[in-house]
Amino acid sequence: MTDKINDPVAMWQKMVGEMEKGFNSFANQAMSSPEFSQAMNRAGGVAAGAQKQFGDLMEKYLLSMNLPSREQMTGIAERLQSIEGQLGEIKSMLSQMSAGSGAPQSGTIPRPPRTKRPPSDSGEQR
Amino acid sequence: MNAPTGLDFASIPERIQSEVQRAIQRSIKGVEYFSTSGPTLGSTPKDVLHSRGTMNLYHYRPQSDEIYRIPVLIVMATTNRGYILDLVPGQSFIEFLLKRGYDVYMLDWTAPRPEEKSLRMEDYVLDFIPDCVRRVQQDSGEKDVSVIGYCFGGVLSLLYGSIFNDGPMKNLICFTTPIDFREMKLFSNFSDRRYFDVDRLVDSVGNVPPEMILSSFEMLRPASRTVSQIQLWENIWNDEFVKSYRMFDRWATDTLPLAGEYFRAITKDLMWDNKLFNDNMSVGGRAAKLANIKVPILHAVAEHDHIVPYDAAKHLITKIGSTDKEEVMLKGGHVSLVAGANAIKRLWPKLDSWLGKRSI
Repeated sequence: MTDKINDPVAMWQKMVGEMEKGFNSFANQAMSSPEFSQAMNRAGGVAAGAQKQFGDLMEKYLLSMNLPSREQMTGIAERLQSIEGQLGEIKSMLSQMSAGSGAPQSGTIPRPPRTKRPPSDSGEQR
Repeated sequence: MNAPTGLDFASIPERIQSEVQRAIQRSIKGVEYFSTSGPTLGSTPKDVLHSRGTMNLYHYRPQSDEIYRIPVLIVMATTNRGYILDLVPGQSFIEFLLKRGYDVYMLDWTAPRPEEKSLRMEDYVLDFIPDCVRRVQQDSGEKDVSVIGYCFGGVLSLLYGSIFNDGPMKNLICFTTPIDFREMKLFSNFSDRRYFDVDRLVDSVGNVPPEMILSSFEMLRPASRTVSQIQLWENIWNDEFVKSYRMFDRWATDTLPLAGEYFRAITKDLMWDNKLFNDNMSVGGRAAKLANIKVPILHAVAEHDHIVPYDAAKHLITKIGSTDKEEVMLKGGHVSLVAGANAIKRLWPKLDSWLGKRSI
């Protein structure tokens, strides 16, 4: 069996591991500086601003094409979501009423009894 | 025999043969890798008890002849999917709990839709969690509920527990939960209030895109993604390694967007003002002090957690109001603490021994 110290594959893996640690540590140090935060957020802010401007422009374009804008689609989605929510509530009320009436619920799986006790100190698992 | 220089000449032919075989295997398995999908994740049988927008409440079907009286509600982090706790049979935390006799529910999240950008911290803490707890009570017929929160799910559970401190929460378990956000040094620097205009970002994009969340996680260890791909190539002949790689890689890159207003509140109240640590946090005008929590609590932290460093999590136990409280530090990282081979032998049995006797 080849000794790990002499195994070129193990040496390569160790080197990769060390490089990863070293690079991560170096990058973490660099990213801790306020200058990094400033540069990163400046770039992020420009991207967000550009995205907003592009969105406004696209909305005007869609309006001229007589197509619904994202905002209008979002409005429809909000109404759909509200309907979904109300359906969920009705479903929940119906299942409660059904449970209250004692009628068997379709698809209900019998539950095991809630009698489980923790294993004894001897380590026995029930 | 080893030469004095340290090179084992006798084993070289054997080693070359082994490496050639692995190279052939790599080529075959490499084609397989790109032509197949990974293992099916999150397949433990469950029912969707309730679904509303970004919120999903699952009930997992019991797998033991008798179960503990108190049901368990797992609150997942809002940035990631809950299937990290339900990978594949034999490596699923959920399956482990079910087999040990727990009645398990999970509050999991889907990507908030564009119209959900207005969801606030109040919606999560004062609506979603209490709603799920009520539904768990109704479904199980029990008034007590144990809550397990992972990462930011732990923060939400703490906020819930500190506001509804006379509520149904009977036990609280937090996994790698930060409370001192100054100590999340890189995140803190990325969101430095002098340079990070959170209002402009949220007003521009609505929901914070998942790519941005993923990038900020990956920036914590910028070399690790490349190195993990090198490791994948080296080990692609090894089916177990590839299976594990695919599971964790798929989960790690399956990041969720964050609702805009919710992200704004996290940035201002937690990252900037560190309100939870400073005891002046409130949600919807209701004070959320950690000292209000009096229920038994277990906080599990990871020794090598690069996302939530120990310094960001260590004050939780001292600041909590409970008398029955314990912190346990286990080997592993932010994810390997809760999932994978490390978790199976360390965290899961610890949690079972702690929670079992408090679940009757």
